[in-house]
Amino acid sequence: MTASTEAAISITALRKSFGATTALDGLDLSVAAGEVHGFLGPNGSGKTTTIRVLLGLLHPDAGEVRMLGGDPWRDAVALHRRLSYVPGDVTLWPGITGGEVIDLLGRLRGGLNRRRRDELLEQFDLDPRKKARTYSKGNRQKVALIAALASDAELLLLDEPTSGLDPLMESVFQRCIHQVKRQGRTVLLSSHILAEVEALCDRVSIIRLGRTVESGTLGELRHLTRTSIAVETADPPYGIDALPGVHDVVVEDHHARFDVDTAQLDAVVRRLAPLGVRSMTSTPPTLEELFLRHYGDEQAAGTAAAS
Amino acid sequence: MIGTLRLLRFLLRRERIGLPWWLLGVTLLVLVQSTQSQSLYGSPEALARLRQTIGGNTAAIAMSGPTRLLDTIGGEVVFEVFAFVAVVVALMNMFLVGRHTRADEESGRAELIRSARVGRHAPLAAALALAGLADLIVGVLVFGVAAGTGLPVTGSVLFGAALAGVGITFAALTAVAAQVFENTRAAYGAVALFLGAAYVLRAAGDVSTDGSLSWASPIGWGQRTFPYAGDRWWPVLLPLGVCVLLGAAAVVLLARRDFGAGLVSPRPGRASASAWLRSGYGLAWRLQRGALAGWAVGIGLLGVAYGSIGDSIEQYVRDNPQIADFLPGGAADIVNSYLALTVGLSALLTAAYGVTSTLRIRAEETSGRAEPVLAAATSRLTWLAGQLSVALAGSALMLAAFGLGEGVAYGMTVSDAGQVPRLIGVALGYLPAVWLIIAVTVLVLGWVPRSAAALAWVVVAYCAVVALFADSLDLPGWTKRASPFAHTPRVPLEDLAVTPLLVIALLAATLVAAGYAGLRRRDIGY
Repeated sequence: MTASTEAAISITALRKSFGATTALDGLDLSVAAGEVHGFLGPNGSGKTTTIRVLLGLLHPDAGEVRMLGGDPWRDAVALHRRLSYVPGDVTLWPGITGGEVIDLLGRLRGGLNRRRRDELLEQFDLDPRKKARTYSKGNRQKVALIAALASDAELLLLDEPTSGLDPLMESVFQRCIHQVKRQGRTVLLSSHILAEVEALCDRVSIIRLGRTVESGTLGELRHLTRTSIAVETADPPYGIDALPGVHDVVVEDHHARFDVDTAQLDAVVRRLAPLGVRSMTSTPPTLEELFLRHYGDEQAAGTAAAS
Repeated sequence: MIGTLRLLRFLLRRERIGLPWWLLGVTLLVLVQSTQSQSLYGSPEALARLRQTIGGNTAAIAMSGPTRLLDTIGGEVVFEVFAFVAVVVALMNMFLVGRHTRADEESGRAELIRSARVGRHAPLAAALALAGLADLIVGVLVFGVAAGTGLPVTGSVLFGAALAGVGITFAALTAVAAQVFENTRAAYGAVALFLGAAYVLRAAGDVSTDGSLSWASPIGWGQRTFPYAGDRWWPVLLPLGVCVLLGAAAVVLLARRDFGAGLVSPRPGRASASAWLRSGYGLAWRLQRGALAGWAVGIGLLGVAYGSIGDSIEQYVRDNPQIADFLPGGAADIVNSYLALTVGLSALLTAAYGVTSTLRIRAEETSGRAEPVLAAATSRLTWLAGQLSVALAGSALMLAAFGLGEGVAYGMTVSDAGQVPRLIGVALGYLPAVWLIIAVTVLVLGWVPRSAAALAWVVVAYCAVVALFADSLDLPGWTKRASPFAHTPRVPLEDLAVTPLLVIALLAATLVAAGYAGLRRRDIGY
């Protein structure tokens, strides 16, 4: 499979509202062929709506949408032969087994790779003989994932595909996506788990309230991330608050808690080392915290977020 | 058993909406039957004539009960209504016990309750107590209605007690099934099978000369107390004994199994799909095949029931002239008039089937199950056509099943095999009208999806009211002409006219196309 020069997905100024609620308010998104693109945003920011527009399930109110060189609404069926999709909330037919659903979805798309299907069943540790009504949320998600990954589709649209998976299965999923990436296929991965996006994605678009607020490589977005540090040192940790990029410092005896811009992490760790670090935990911020910090104020002030 | 009382109070609260409807239904059934029977067969002569008509009619006995009940007017009420009400009461008990035992366990709600200071057996005990309480109320209500409409008091007590007995038997049976099966549907299936067997066994027993098979059926026990016709009390002890035994069995089984598990693990299904399951069509038929078969069998059996009394209808109308008012052709051509009436009824039922089947399109959409199908290379047209093919072909199957049932049963009583193709043909004459109702459902699904279910059912209800009551309610002529059934020739009473059927079919095709045009334009899932 060769990566074409044309973008796999290109969306400009997409708008969509349902009655009085505006779901998408001028969204832009560009996914190059062959890349794994992270699609980040808090719940209700419009990720699922965007994907449904790409699937031709929803008709856009305004804006330009192109996918794989076609119009998602008009050319839906032709385009669907070339993509596979994992919904965020997988609902299945209660009386049909997981194996049957995988086969059905594969056939509806125009065929699936049998050997690959059986490998995936093994890797994801899914019993295909069980009726869907007995599956947990995680298992239903595995059914949809296996159906999507067993295809040779050139584009994968994944809507929070790992929200019900345990860490073990999450790592299986990441292996599969790496493999897909090596094959030169394109992935749009919607998520609100920053760690997953960091592990998999080449580029990231962040949306909020139906608009794109940031887009770029992870390196370019590094300035957005702050790490929370809790440290216990042999000598009292004075002077940390004077360092650049350090925020919200609380010092008690030998303990200190603070947030640091990830770009400045190295400098801060160097400053701490001579103090004799007894224990240290660092926590990446959740995406919600990130959004509150970076865009909450702007929204409250009524200024439009940069697009 | 700690917490049983508290749980029972909670269950009563959860059932405060649903249970009264069941109780009201039972009360109304007995009330209507008691007043109607007393007005139709109140005199000894009328009752004697009925005894003669029914006594020779095996099908009527198989449907109702032992003929000894026809000795008195009170017994006649029991004869007509007992088996039917018993089924309703049994289902009520099945749902009451199943919902608060296995269903709660399956959904995880019971886990929350059992984690509190609640004994292992408390949920089961509370569910059984709830069912017992409901049955007690059934008994009191039936007694009240029967005695209140002028039937003897002693017999009325027995009538109520016998029905409550059927209820507790099925409550205890469900309690056992809920321990054995891991999912609620399987438990309900097993109980429903027992209920069907109970009905069939008593039918076979009542038709035979010695009636011994009826003693294998809880419904038979109830009927053989012979309320008002001998008042035999001891069979009331049978359900009590069985209830104690089954209850004990449920308690023992409960202690021997893990929470959430059953004694029978569910049968694993297919690991990969069969060759049929490869398109929107295959999926739609796979999803609806169970409902399709269930409806077809039900409507077919209804046909058998109607057909089996087709031959005696003439005698029956002579005995009860007021019945003729209900027949579309009056008393002139009674048998054909009766057949036209029953086929018309089956067409209304078929329309209801068609609407439920068509509305699955909306259910697939709102549940999110349509999404992966439409996200694959399935066009909206194929998706709609797949679901719709079941409704359209399925409704033809329903009408044919009714015609087959009625044709076989009626044909056997008049020794004429030709009735089978004739009545199948007659029933299929209503197909265009049914299709039109399905087409209206597609139209509203396409353009006003959120109101589609309500609108579609209003159309069915309208057709039913107009078909059944337009004459007796003296509704203006245009109200009648708005129903497609009014334009369908009432074969076999009237001659078959092809033109109106073609016009209706053409209209249906247009509406389906218009509905698809709407579906193609709108968002899916909203």
